[in-house]
Amino acid sequence: MRALRFGLGGAVLVAVPWIVAAVAPGQQRYILHVLIFTALYGALALSYDLVVGHVGSLSLAHPAFFGIGAYTAALLATEAHWPFAAALPAGIAAAGLTALAVGVPMFRLTEHSFAMGTLGFALVAQIVATNWVEFTRGPLCVTGIPKPEIGPLRITTLPAFYWMGLTAVGLIGLLYHGLTTARLGRAFHAVRDNEMLASAASIHPLKYRMLAFVIGGAMAGGVGTLFASYVGVLCPTELAVSLTVNLLVMLFLGGVGSLRGVVVGAVAFTALPEILRMAPTWRMVIYGLLLLVIVIRAPDGLEGVIRRRSSAPRRPSASGA
Amino acid sequence: MTLMRRGTIGIAVGLLLLLGGEGPGALAQGGPPIKVGFSSAMTGPSAITGEGVKWAAQMLADEYNAKGGIMGRKIELYFGDNAGTPGEAVSAVRRLADVDKVDVIVGQTHSGACLGALPVVKELQVPMVIEACSNPKIRDLIGKNGNEWAFRVNPDDIMLANQFAKYIAQSTKTVSIFAQNDDFGRGAAAAYDAAFKKTGIKLVSTEFFDRGQADYRPVLTRVKRANPEAVLLVMLASEGSVFMRQFREVGLTQKLYARGSMATVEFLHQVKDSPSIADGLVEATYWTPALDPAWEKQWLERFKVPVRVHGSLAAIAFRYALAPAIEQAIKKTGKADRKAIRDALETVDVADTPVGRIRFDDTHQAFINMLLVQINGGQLKLLEKITIQP
Amino acid sequence: MGDLVEQLVHGLTLGSLYAMVATGLALMFGVVRLVNFAHGEFYMLGGYAFWYAYRVLGLPYPVAGVAAAAATAVFGLAYERTVIRTILARTWHVQLIATLATSITLTNLAIIVFGTQPKEVPTVLSSAIAEIGGVRLAWQRPLVLVAAVVVFAGLEWFVARTKLGRAMRAMSQNREACAVVGVDVQRVALATFGLSAALAGGAAALVSPLFNIFPDVGALLTLKAFAAVIVGGFGYVKGAIAAAFLIGVAESLAAGYLSYAYKDAIAFVVMVAVLLVRPQGLFGRRIGI
Repeated sequence: MRALRFGLGGAVLVAVPWIVAAVAPGQQRYILHVLIFTALYGALALSYDLVVGHVGSLSLAHPAFFGIGAYTAALLATEAHWPFAAALPAGIAAAGLTALAVGVPMFRLTEHSFAMGTLGFALVAQIVATNWVEFTRGPLCVTGIPKPEIGPLRITTLPAFYWMGLTAVGLIGLLYHGLTTARLGRAFHAVRDNEMLASAASIHPLKYRMLAFVIGGAMAGGVGTLFASYVGVLCPTELAVSLTVNLLVMLFLGGVGSLRGVVVGAVAFTALPEILRMAPTWRMVIYGLLLLVIVIRAPDGLEGVIRRRSSAPRRPSASGA
Repeated sequence: MTLMRRGTIGIAVGLLLLLGGEGPGALAQGGPPIKVGFSSAMTGPSAITGEGVKWAAQMLADEYNAKGGIMGRKIELYFGDNAGTPGEAVSAVRRLADVDKVDVIVGQTHSGACLGALPVVKELQVPMVIEACSNPKIRDLIGKNGNEWAFRVNPDDIMLANQFAKYIAQSTKTVSIFAQNDDFGRGAAAAYDAAFKKTGIKLVSTEFFDRGQADYRPVLTRVKRANPEAVLLVMLASEGSVFMRQFREVGLTQKLYARGSMATVEFLHQVKDSPSIADGLVEATYWTPALDPAWEKQWLERFKVPVRVHGSLAAIAFRYALAPAIEQAIKKTGKADRKAIRDALETVDVADTPVGRIRFDDTHQAFINMLLVQINGGQLKLLEKITIQP
Repeated sequence: MGDLVEQLVHGLTLGSLYAMVATGLALMFGVVRLVNFAHGEFYMLGGYAFWYAYRVLGLPYPVAGVAAAAATAVFGLAYERTVIRTILARTWHVQLIATLATSITLTNLAIIVFGTQPKEVPTVLSSAIAEIGGVRLAWQRPLVLVAAVVVFAGLEWFVARTKLGRAMRAMSQNREACAVVGVDVQRVALATFGLSAALAGGAAALVSPLFNIFPDVGALLTLKAFAAVIVGGFGYVKGAIAAAFLIGVAESLAAGYLSYAYKDAIAFVVMVAVLLVRPQGLFGRRIGI
């Protein structure tokens, strides 16, 4: 039954370009574009949630991995004419390796120092991207990033990019699910919830934190590559620390630590401004207030609200009401 | 409910809501309104530029609509926010084109955003008039070079540098450049590096600073040691005023040249407590109050602050290039739709605007005059108007 | 050689700024164990308050400065009673994100209220140039340094000699014991916030005549102040002050001799380097402020 629902849902998602064309023919290109960004952000948010939600490490370095993946692939494609099929894994690998190199010293730090250390790394990454102009083109940006080509497949149209985004979020979602359930998931959660007890049970915190950090970083690099190939231009502004803020809003709005929650959060965060259409600066004020209220009152986000509703007892109580 | 189903329902709901959000109805007087989208950095670290563009757009719409619009058709404004990045520029352009259904876009102010927008305006077939993007690469991408829908009014520094370098070479042999660390500053620095070599000026050093980091002393001390005859400042008034204070604090007395918005009322307003702080500064620009004092006055009355350079640039693009093109399109074809405006832009030729002759060449680049403006006794003085050769 | 002296002088100005802001951060962390990512916004608000008092109302400089510090203190108190009180008992993740959210809200509200154009507030002292030993500097710079020293001395006296100050120190050493002994923990927390905010606001009144004020000014400042707090040993105020000066001077020297474009990276490179070699900070993890 579940498989049938999944299959049906999957089919609907794949058919979205046609559904949109039928339902809103004048705006289908815009809607598809929003969906592409939503899918990419969703994938990015999932990769971030692995680290924040499942091993409980508040890393602020994610924009750096996103950017390193994007720049690696973009520069290889534009300077060394690497095909997409090679540039994408290179971007993923570069981000993952950087996460490995950064994680080793960072995880020696505790709590606040870890957060500040990763933040410092993210800032330095942006500063380098902006100023190492000979290599990254700095503020003059990497231009002419070619559209992805995988064998005979050329991804040039919006529906094609949408399916690419859907595949990305699907794959990352599957990986996320696999990593956060069963034994590995339990190990992650043990490290997150009670580090001392976990080590006592020979679940080495460092090993699992590094695993989540590196995989999350590598995933972010992959998303960065896809993003750069979709937009076609890559500037150092994409590594801004504000990306972390956006990701945090997505995670906490939807429900940190939950696949469904994070995806809902990403959809809400990306689709909402399109629907609301308020002045951009006011939108940022709303995000700030929203994040503040949610993290204090409902840190489980929408997911938590829904769970609590659906698990409220419906049968009359034993005392007879 | 599975994720998938919930997601699909969410998408369906979203679609319905989007469809509901149609723009305002047409004000019928001489024809439906002409929808103009202005896209700039409304949020993010460069939000100050978007504010200037927005204010200019509002002033322009009021100005033209007070006269009954263009050929009796009113101007309807739409705004897009590109946050100064290419990704957001793609979103802004797509929304302006497909949801707001604008007839033409003026934007994107920042080169990264321009570069991101270019393929999209080509795909969606919406004309875009670039008002301030300074990356020279843009010229290699528009017009006959691959994008018939994009036009650029502002010159980039490669176009200005040769002339300005010649002017500087008349009286100076050694120069240091101070430039903001963005596409504008980096592009200018590269252009002047090349131009100085051609005119025999020695470039002693080039320093970049992040906008908003109002702390220039370490690098000023360095330049004091290097002791060039002159400095070339590539910065806006908001940074320039703090920079000049520290420049004088350190005791530097070099000749001052500038590219940005230094020889402006905005700058003089910021330094009104020491009005002669930048006396003698000569700036290569394409706008000065002398070209349209009424515009400056009106802006000051309405917004209580002096004119912003990005507002002036948007006004130049709209007033002298786009509005005549729209008028031409309506006269010739009776329509002001996207294709008509695009075609008109390609052939528009206005001989004597305050910024010079407006005509786009086959790379869709216009060649407005370069102005040399000097600050003297706390006042602005237009020294020279130089036509830029294609 | 004259150059080096000049860069050092400049580094000391920067260091004073970072130190005043970092002290507030260290106090908050020391006394109530709170991570406040919106601290830079105290500086920003103090800056705007100063601009309003000095430029708009036309108050004399010292009055405007005190008014700015006071206004910021009031804001700090309000912030404590509303946001902070609800997150004090929560995990530091929640604290960090909640204060980060506050920072975003405040920054964007400032854009809406004050506009994006930076405000300049030159004073008599920031325009008057002194020439001391071949180094030219505005009189405002020595003022900043002297004021900082006075403030730190005053703070030390306050913490050592007054009842409230001693309560702060006691709370930073052992909060439970304080509650048991009858110290009004809530009141001390409130006072700490007011004091931290006043420090940031006062710093803005001192330093903004040399630079300028814009909505985003707090962002980088928060991070550098955090770097100082971490390097100094969390919650140890004297350590934070020393670290802040170290960072200020390092930044100035790096900007002058290495590369101006990369100068902001210096603070974080120093921080990360110290963290890796001595995770407990340069001065070790001391107990108490």
